[in-house]
Amino acid sequence: MAQDESRSRALHIVFLIVIILLACLYIYPVFLMVDNSFKPFKEILTNVLALPSRLEWENYTYVIEKMEYFRLFVNNVVITVIGIVGIVVFSSMAAYILDRRDTRITKALHTFIITPMLIPFQTIMITLLKFMNIIHLNGTTWGLGIQYWGFGIPMATFIYFNFMKSVPSEIDESAMIDGASTLQTYALIIFPLLKTVTATVVVLDVMWIWNDFLLPLLMVNSSPSSKTLVLAAYNFVGSLNTKWHYALAAMVLAILPSVIVFVFLQRYIVDGVVAGAIKG
Amino acid sequence: MKKLLCMLLTAAALLSLCVAPAMAEDAAEINMFIASPEYADAVNELIAAYKEVAPNVTINYETTQNDYPTLLKTRINAGMTPDIFSTTSGKEIADYAEYSYNFASEPAAQAMDPAVAAMMAYGDGEIHGFALKGNYFGMLYNKAIFEEVGIEFPKTLDEFEAACEKLTEAGYQPVTTGFAEWWVFKHVMQHFLDAATDDPAALVAAFQKGEAHFADYPELYDNFFRFIDLCVKYGDNKPLETDLAGEDSAFGVGKAAMMIGQGAWVEADVLAIDDALQIGFAGYPVCDDPAKSQIIGGSDQALRINKDSANLQAVLDFVNWWYTSDYGKAWFCDVAGVIPPVTDAKVADMQIIKQGAELSQTDGAAALSICYSSDSFNQAMGEAIQAYIGGSIDKDACCAQIEAKWVELDGPAA
Amino acid sequence: MDKRPMSPMDRKALKDTLLFTLPAVVMVLIAIYIPFVMSGYYSLTEWNGISRNPQFIGLANFKTIFSSGSPEFVNALVFTFKYSILFIILSNVIALALAVALTRKFRLANFLRGMFFLPYIMSMTIVGFIWKFIFTQGFEKLYELTGWGVWNLSWLGDGRLAFFSLVLVGTWQSLGFYIVLYIAGLQAIPTEVLEAASIDGANGSQRFFKVVLPLLGPSITTCMFMSLTNSLKVFDIILALTKGGPGGATYSATLDIYREAFQNNNYGLGSAKAIVFFVIVLILTQVVLKVFESREVKQ
Repeated sequence: MAQDESRSRALHIVFLIVIILLACLYIYPVFLMVDNSFKPFKEILTNVLALPSRLEWENYTYVIEKMEYFRLFVNNVVITVIGIVGIVVFSSMAAYILDRRDTRITKALHTFIITPMLIPFQTIMITLLKFMNIIHLNGTTWGLGIQYWGFGIPMATFIYFNFMKSVPSEIDESAMIDGASTLQTYALIIFPLLKTVTATVVVLDVMWIWNDFLLPLLMVNSSPSSKTLVLAAYNFVGSLNTKWHYALAAMVLAILPSVIVFVFLQRYIVDGVVAGAIKG
Repeated sequence: MKKLLCMLLTAAALLSLCVAPAMAEDAAEINMFIASPEYADAVNELIAAYKEVAPNVTINYETTQNDYPTLLKTRINAGMTPDIFSTTSGKEIADYAEYSYNFASEPAAQAMDPAVAAMMAYGDGEIHGFALKGNYFGMLYNKAIFEEVGIEFPKTLDEFEAACEKLTEAGYQPVTTGFAEWWVFKHVMQHFLDAATDDPAALVAAFQKGEAHFADYPELYDNFFRFIDLCVKYGDNKPLETDLAGEDSAFGVGKAAMMIGQGAWVEADVLAIDDALQIGFAGYPVCDDPAKSQIIGGSDQALRINKDSANLQAVLDFVNWWYTSDYGKAWFCDVAGVIPPVTDAKVADMQIIKQGAELSQTDGAAALSICYSSDSFNQAMGEAIQAYIGGSIDKDACCAQIEAKWVELDGPAA
Repeated sequence: MDKRPMSPMDRKALKDTLLFTLPAVVMVLIAIYIPFVMSGYYSLTEWNGISRNPQFIGLANFKTIFSSGSPEFVNALVFTFKYSILFIILSNVIALALAVALTRKFRLANFLRGMFFLPYIMSMTIVGFIWKFIFTQGFEKLYELTGWGVWNLSWLGDGRLAFFSLVLVGTWQSLGFYIVLYIAGLQAIPTEVLEAASIDGANGSQRFFKVVLPLLGPSITTCMFMSLTNSLKVFDIILALTKGGPGGATYSATLDIYREAFQNNNYGLGSAKAIVFFVIVLILTQVVLKVFESREVKQ
């Protein structure tokens, strides 16, 4: 027994070393991005792989001021929060009813809602801007946030739908017998059980919306009152001459908040929320 | 988490309320959406200077990188044509003519350099664009290396090959090419087009109608491909993987002696790597005749004025001020550091620009013949030559493919 | 799964169904379907994307695609399918393996998950920039160190190798996304099921293949479907790394559509290609979805 234990301990250590090495290798390009954001321009062009000879904080101070960092940060928060709330609420609602009722209508609705995942964004760009202009969802942070509902719901519904299968329907049936309406059952019983999936959807969509480029470029690029961080970061990227030292610093600053959100939300993707509910 | 979300949402709602009003009043607004983000700082300074002159005019300046043509089309079709936008000059002048204002009678048009104005011309004496800068195209070389090896810059293809040999012996990489970029090929090709004929515009038009063929022009069929072959032989280790940044780096650190496919715009970048670099600037060796080795000058980018602009007069005032005021004229040289597209402005103190100006005086400059074709074609041509370099097609197949694309994309039916 | 059959008297159920799905339906309608149908109209026109007056030409664009064969489009489709197959296999296998590893209990687990997720949020321009330097400078250094010929190959400059480079970087960039989905699926497996299996004497690999994998059905369906749609739509990564080059060897279907519509100024033909491609994707994904859903084990 004791031998077994020490063997499994050794295996565990080997596993740890392998996975840590793997993660380091994996993260190396990201490390290069941060590494180079601290170099003067010349060093980036001559040797990308080296460590900076000295930390060039000026890259960061210059970029923060130039891109109006804090103002655009607020824009990003507004867009992302509006987008996420709508996506989570509407998708989980739809997925719930689509899973629990199995009729021809729900099948058709299911297909209708998730099919847009298959449409490449580039093919609808021209007409999208045209139409958003007509219905006045163009040019403002809140309008863009609402647009993300439409673009995020297909994938989120798809994810919710597939995970909804693991929530036993006995749970809501017993709630119904106790006299709860469908809406109450969903809001009070089912939605709390979806914490893991919701955290997953929120993580994926925060990352996507916060760092999205093409849609904000179409919709909110024209004014600093609606611009996003990634758009501002792109101003340092030229078609011919890119100021890489500023561009990289700006990119690091643009994605940093979403990384922090990720680390924070990670805790919510925890063990057996659903399993716990069944036990209880 | 829920509480946090609630708080954030409330904050968001409040903020969007605060942001909504603002602006108003009868002041004019100009929406300027142009390419060339590398001049963003300079343009912002220009706008700030104009604010002093015309405090009531607000200029919303917006710029972006590669996606520019796509975004412009998207905006135009959504009915949001910017007041000032950019296209390439030459062939694209006609494509966007129905949206752009003919300002031939404005003071700005009179102040424009005639070579630049020629690229903006449309129909009968109309001027449909102005330039942010003039440009020079040619080969860059490292003067110190050439001195050390003891050779002159080659003006014929034979000299070029000999120079490459000498440079290799001396331990240098003779050329760096940037063949990973499709646009490098159009910059090189135009020098050979100009050598092939006295009237490149007519030759390109013949190609577009499918009436001309590479095989009939030794400067194209033999010399151009010989030049490409030599560049591959004496060039970068992985030619199709070397892009502009790779070129900058190889040339800037003094590893490569010559740089092709580029022009005045790379000077700042290579000097950023080595500010003591002595850059030589010259035409391409295109044939046996040294006199045909000429640089090319002109403006390949056009800024256009939306003819349906709500504030057309304000836009025109701005452009006239830019091209005729003392500040505006000095801006090209002092702030942007570019070749002024206007007459009687001082020339920036930069190595390539100075040599370019001298060379066009002494040896003359060849025509900016990239502008006779569209960039749709130029990109397809670049890809065909890349395929040739990669070995997936031979020279004849490459020529046939380029000829077919010329007809398909730029021909009368396109 | 026992779902309640809808009785005729149950009109409330229908009302619920419509009420719960209405917001989702309206939003996708506005954001995607209406613009898609609008651009579908242009597939029936000859239009350069610039002029004010598209010219109606009926089905001529579709005839062009099917009759002349449109070799560039066909090549792009072949490239896209090859890319998708390799991408789906790589990203799902690796993501699942890493998800299993990262759901083990050890102190650094959370931190490591974050590390694997990071590339997913990097902007494509930066991804392209960094990887270009790794392929050039990085590989050059490795070649100097090891002398292995594999580092001296032109990984972006040779059409065939560029294909593998794109799959590699594409997988690297999006792996975190699938890891997160698999982790969520693994966490949803009740621990008592695993405990029961252990008590019955199942060893690690038996537990994984006989118990965990079947129970992961919904996650696998989700990830397969997502990786399929994402790889069929592959666009950004190619634009960032090769722009379809060298010599047009790495054009995907979406990039070809983009080129047709915006570079070649054939917006009408580009829209027609987009519709043809959409139909192909629709059929493919429905088949894949059916296959995987029918294999799921019901809990």
